[in-house]
Amino acid sequence: MATNTNQVQLNQAAAPEGFESWAWKWMRYSGLLLIPLAWGHVLIQDILVGVHAIDLDYVALRWASLGWRVYDFLLLAFAFAHGVNGLRQVLNDYIRSDTTRKRVTWLLFILWLVLSLIGAAAIVGGVRAP
Amino acid sequence: MESLKLNILGMARYRGREGQLSFILHRLAGLGTLLFLAVHILDTSTVYFFPSLYEHAIDIYRSTPFMLGEIALVFAVIYHGVNGARIALFDLFIPDRWNVETQRKSAYWSLGIAIVLWLPAAYMMGRSMLVHNFGL
Repeated sequence: MATNTNQVQLNQAAAPEGFESWAWKWMRYSGLLLIPLAWGHVLIQDILVGVHAIDLDYVALRWASLGWRVYDFLLLAFAFAHGVNGLRQVLNDYIRSDTTRKRVTWLLFILWLVLSLIGAAAIVGGVRAP
Repeated sequence: MESLKLNILGMARYRGREGQLSFILHRLAGLGTLLFLAVHILDTSTVYFFPSLYEHAIDIYRSTPFMLGEIALVFAVIYHGVNGARIALFDLFIPDRWNVETQRKSAYWSLGIAIVLWLPAAYMMGRSMLVHNFGL
């Protein structure tokens, strides 16, 4: 049998547990969960229903069922945290100064918190009459 | 800025082939989706905070440029999901199978699966755009 010259010897030493290690795992596990959550959302809203059929009444009807509110809440929580952490990881590849990294991390954390709270408030509060 | 310029030049020069290209496509798809998601959280939140603005926001999404963007966005979401599943499955369950050969093959597989899943979606969204925006 010919040996595979491309075989890479992986260093299997355990990485130290820490924030980055958790973030690494978070991206993979939340990503796997987001496949049914985000794809389901896209399939229903973008492909089957379509933006021309979506209005305030449609949202109100959908959010009349608690199940869809829970679904949207999970999607908001997992997708946005996955996305903002992804942006943090991309930016960390380009930022060399530790101070800038810390500042950017805090800025992203605040952005994540504010938008998540706004979105969560809307899901809990529901559709109001215009 | 300087390091960003250096990185973009490096990306163009570095001949990492399939692995590097799927890495770049994965990041662009993810960042594009995040940009839309941030806007989308805000526009949907208007149903509670400023309900009269919601219809305006949806009207923008109904325009042709945004519907074309939506078709691109759906490709980004599908590709990022398929390729992300590839990364997660290798990393979490079969890390010893990461090598140039499996990476190359699986990168092609994820692009192929993403295109196959996207085509019917693009057809349906494209048809909806022609029906609603061009009176077909």
